[in-house]
Amino acid sequence: MEYFIAQLINGLCQGAIYALMAIGYSVIVGVVGMVTFTYGEIMMIGAFAAYYTFQAIGNNLPVAILAAFSASFLVGIVVYKLCYERFFNAPRHISLLCTIGISMLIKNLAQIFFGPDTKPVLNIIDNKTFTAHIGSISVDIKLLQIIVICLVIVFALALTMFFNKTKAGIALRAVSQSKEASYMMGINVKRTAMLGNCIGCGFGGIAGILLSIYYYSVSATMGGSYSIKAFSSSVLGGLVDIRFSALGGLCIGVIENLGITISSATFRDVFAFGFLILVLIVRPQGFAKKKGARV
Amino acid sequence: MDAVKTFYNKHKALILLALFVLMCFVPVIIKKTVLIRYICNVLMYATLAGSLNAINGYSGQTCLGQAGFFCIGAYTCAILSKNFGVSFWLLLPLAGIMAMLVGLLVSLPTLRLSGIYLSIVTLGFSEIIRIIAQTWNSVTGGSLGIKEIPYPEFFGLQMFRPKYYYYIFLVIGALFLFVTDRVLKSRVGRAWMSIREDQIAAKSLGVETSFYKSLNFMYGAFWAGVIGAAYAPFVNYIEASQFTTNTGFNVLAMIVIGGQGTLIGPILGSTLVTILTESLRFLENWRYVIYALIIIAMMWIRPQGLVGASDSILAGGTIRRKENGKKKESRKEGDAHHE
Repeated sequence: MEYFIAQLINGLCQGAIYALMAIGYSVIVGVVGMVTFTYGEIMMIGAFAAYYTFQAIGNNLPVAILAAFSASFLVGIVVYKLCYERFFNAPRHISLLCTIGISMLIKNLAQIFFGPDTKPVLNIIDNKTFTAHIGSISVDIKLLQIIVICLVIVFALALTMFFNKTKAGIALRAVSQSKEASYMMGINVKRTAMLGNCIGCGFGGIAGILLSIYYYSVSATMGGSYSIKAFSSSVLGGLVDIRFSALGGLCIGVIENLGITISSATFRDVFAFGFLILVLIVRPQGFAKKKGARV
Repeated sequence: MDAVKTFYNKHKALILLALFVLMCFVPVIIKKTVLIRYICNVLMYATLAGSLNAINGYSGQTCLGQAGFFCIGAYTCAILSKNFGVSFWLLLPLAGIMAMLVGLLVSLPTLRLSGIYLSIVTLGFSEIIRIIAQTWNSVTGGSLGIKEIPYPEFFGLQMFRPKYYYYIFLVIGALFLFVTDRVLKSRVGRAWMSIREDQIAAKSLGVETSFYKSLNFMYGAFWAGVIGAAYAPFVNYIEASQFTTNTGFNVLAMIVIGGQGTLIGPILGSTLVTILTESLRFLENWRYVIYALIIIAMMWIRPQGLVGASDSILAGGTIRRKENGKKKESRKEGDAHHE
C-alpha cells in the first residue's frame, strides 16, 4: 500500500511535468494551428541551457529557469521561420515533415556540440524528505517533488493570467480561434503566431529543466519519447485546450506510474500510449467538450 | 523528352522486363561483397519505402509507424524460423499476413480519426510494438535480440552470401512494384486516390472510405512485413533498437525526398539516402545534420519530392492552389491595412 501511494505521488509529480509540457504543446498547436515533432529537442535545449547556467553561476534555480525559457524561446523563432511561416496554407504533412527534419538537425547538432554522454545535474534542490503519517500508513514526499509541483502550478497560473489579462494574450486567443477574423480585427497574425510558438517552446524549455532536475541528468537524446508524450497529453486534452491538456498530462503521468507498479518499469511507455489509443477510440476529441479551437 | 515518353509508353512491359534482366546481372559484374551489401540495402529500403508510400502517397494518410510493421515481419521470421524451423519461403507471406493483421488493428481506431490524430496513433503503435519486442524476453530475446537466424534454402542451396540476397530483394521488389501497379489501376487504387484528393467528395460518390482506408493500411503493412521477413536473415541478427521511430522517420524521409504518390519516387529516395549516408560515413554525426538539412530543403523547394508532379495534391495541389492564391492576396491586403 505504501509502495502504491509512493508511486501515486511519483505519478502526480511526473504528471505535473507532463502537464507543463502539454500546456506548451497546446499553445503551439492552438495558436500556430500545426503540430510539431521538435518539442522533445526544444526541451533538451532548455535543459542544456539550465545545465550550463548551473555550471557557470552555481545552483541558482530562478536564473536557470530564465535561461532555459529564453534559449527555448529563441530556438522557437528558428523553428517558426523554418517550419511554419511558409506553410500555413500548404498541406499539413509538409510542415510536419519539416519539424521532423528540424528535430533531427537539433538532436545531431546537440550531440556534436554538447557531447553524446549523459551529464549529471545534482544537488540543485536539497535532498530532504518529509514524512506524513495518515493512520498506520506513512507517506514520504521529497522536497524536490513539492517544488516541482509548485513550479508547474505557478507557471500554469501565470500563463492563464497572460492569456486573459494582457493584450498580447488576448491576441493569441483570437488567432487561435480564427486567423481570418484576426486579420480583419487588425492583429498581425504572423507575429502573433510566432509569439505563440515561442511561448509554447519556452514552456517546453522549463519542462526540460524540471525533467533534468527530476531525473538528475541531461543528455542530447533525452527529448525522444517526451516529444511523443507531450503530444499524447495534449491530444488527450483535445489538442488546443490548455486546462484539459494539463489534465491529460497529469493522467498520463499517474497511469504510467501506477502501470509500472503492476508490471516492470520498461513498460512505462506502453501504458502511456495504450491509454492514449484507448481514449482516442472511445472519445476522439479527448477530454474537451467539443472539437475546435479554444485556448 | 516526349519521344522518349511515347516510346516508353508503347513498349512499357518490354522495357521493364529488359531492365529486370539487366538488374539480374549486377552481382555478376560487381564482385565486391561490400558494394553488393549496399545495393541489397537500397533494394530493401526501396520496397519498405514503397510500402509506406502505398499508405502515405496514395490514400493521403500520414502513417509514421512503418517501423512497427517492419519489426513485426522481422520478428515473425526470426522466431518461427529459429524455433520451429519453418521454411523461409513460407515465412515471407506469413510475416506479411502477421503485419497485415496488426495493420488492421492499427487502422481500427484510426477510422474515426484523421490527420494528426492518426499519425500519433501509428507512431504510438510502432513504439508499443518495439517496447514489447524489447521486453518480452522469453519469445523475442529481450534487449539481447535474436542471433543466428537460419539462412534461407533454395533447392538445397544455403543462401548466405549477399549476392543471393540481392536476388531475393530484387524479386520481392519487382513483385511489389508489379502488384502495386496493378492494384493502383484497379477499383481499389482509384478509391485510395479519391480519398487522398478529397475524402468528403469520395464519400459522397459512394466510396466506402473506412473500408478502403483500412485496406490501404493492411496493404502497406503486408509489404512492410514481407520485407521485414527478408531482412531478418539478411542481417542475421535483430534486436529492438533496429526498429525505433528513427527508422520510421528514415523511411519517411526517403519517400519525401523521392516523391510521394509515385512508384519510382521511393526507389529514387532510398537510393539517394543510402548513397548519402554510406558515402558520408567519414563525417560521423555531421552526415545526419546534412541529411536533416536536405529534408528541410526538400520541403521548401519541392514538397512533392524529386519526381512528384507539381500539381499533385501532396504539393499543395490544383484545387488548393487556387484557394491559396486568393488567400494570399487577401492576407497581403490585410497586412498592408494593418501596418
